[in-house]
Amino acid sequence: MKKRESLRKSVWTIISLVTLFLIWYLGSRNEELGRLMPDPVEVLKFIAAGFVAPIGKKLLWEHILWSLSRVLIGYVLACIVGILLGFAASWFKVGEAVIRPFYLLLRSIPSLAWIPLAILWFGIGEKSKYFIIFITAVMIIMTNVMDGVKAVSPELLGVARMLGTKEKQLFVRVVLPCAVPQIFNGLQVAVGSAWAAVLAAEMVRSSEGVGWIILAGQSSMNMVQIFAGIVVIGMIGLLLALLIRAAERRLCAWNVRGK
Amino acid sequence: MSSMIEVKNVRKLFVNEEGEKNEVLKNVSFHVDKNEFVVIFGPGQCGKTTLLNIIAGLEEATDGEVLKMGETVSGPGPDRAVVFQDILLFPWLTVMQNVEYSMKVRGMDSRMRREEAGKYIDLVGLNGFEKAYPVQISGGMKQRVGIARAYCTKPDVMLMDEPFGALDAQTRYLMQDEVIRISSTEKRTVVFVTNNVEEAIYLADRIIIMTDCPSTVLKDIKIDLPRPRSYVDPEFLSLRKEISAMLNRKR
Repeated sequence: MKKRESLRKSVWTIISLVTLFLIWYLGSRNEELGRLMPDPVEVLKFIAAGFVAPIGKKLLWEHILWSLSRVLIGYVLACIVGILLGFAASWFKVGEAVIRPFYLLLRSIPSLAWIPLAILWFGIGEKSKYFIIFITAVMIIMTNVMDGVKAVSPELLGVARMLGTKEKQLFVRVVLPCAVPQIFNGLQVAVGSAWAAVLAAEMVRSSEGVGWIILAGQSSMNMVQIFAGIVVIGMIGLLLALLIRAAERRLCAWNVRGK
Repeated sequence: MSSMIEVKNVRKLFVNEEGEKNEVLKNVSFHVDKNEFVVIFGPGQCGKTTLLNIIAGLEEATDGEVLKMGETVSGPGPDRAVVFQDILLFPWLTVMQNVEYSMKVRGMDSRMRREEAGKYIDLVGLNGFEKAYPVQISGGMKQRVGIARAYCTKPDVMLMDEPFGALDAQTRYLMQDEVIRISSTEKRTVVFVTNNVEEAIYLADRIIIMTDCPSTVLKDIKIDLPRPRSYVDPEFLSLRKEISAMLNRKR
């Protein structure tokens, strides 16, 4: 029953993607729209060609690796800092009082607004790119960790105490496992945003990366290249989200199996 | 010899944000002897769960106190295990892990606690489900896990808060027999809260009848019916009539 349902869902997903591609394709056949939108076949050809002939100075997969490594470094830092600060600002009373005001002030600042500061603080090298990705992801992760901890029911904590859990053990035994699904939710949203922020990060001088492909496409008025960059960013973002979801499925079987 | 549990002049007053006072327990006193099965029975939604939570140490009395073996209760602990109405298992642990939890936090080694937990899983009839997660089993089965988990703490007192309230009638009858069977195999002091008069008479050595809000002890009656009991036994029915009449008079 479940298998059939998931099969039906994937069929509809494929239909929807094919339809989008067809509309795009037919739309670009039309002369009027053709000036605004490149032919999707051309975009795909561009992407395929990118693997053998360099775009700018590098092959497409090198651009992807450059961007991925930037995202990875910023994101991993954000995971470590976000999870630690999130717990500190929600489970510990003093931590909450100290960290929360900063969190509230900083969380609504968009990642683009950090670019000038990042350049002043870290120059135009790699560090400022890591920083932009880091700051984008860390706020999302913190938010989710804090929500996860706040959602731990006081009744469950009462049960744990009744069963002999010491105050010191409560965090590891109850709070942490309780918050894990929400934390994963944060990690998944954050990886998407971190990857999307790669464009912002690569707006700070760069000569490689998928963000650069789009920016370079804009300055050379090459619409096919812009679209190719967009498609590649979209695809890789999707892959990253699927990767995190697969990890969640393995680590929180208790939560996923019930759905 | 002092009683297992002694509830002395307990009063509980809730004050909400607007400052309105709501007295749910008024001067409640009773005692529970060792190995006795005491049912706290009363109509409506008033006070019974609060009373049980105060005995468990999960809530604090406004006035009065609860003594366990002569000592004042000041917080929750594994000596007074609670089986909750809304069950409250740890969803990230399997049936086995939920049952052995209290032994794990006490630092018992894994082989011994597996064995011990296995014994209680057998006792509540859940063998074969050790590796299932709470989301994968039915309400009745979850409640059995809750009972096995409570027994595993080796409590001096089992506190059961309408444990079968959320179950369907059939499962409820089944679980009542189960509780009788378990507590005859494994002698324990039990305090059992219910608002179902039949369940009270079926299970209890002694029934403490509570009034409606603010709750206080209306009557304390010993049930001498031989076990196993039957719902249609004439003595059972006359007791049921008597208790219902008592509550109606009070109203």
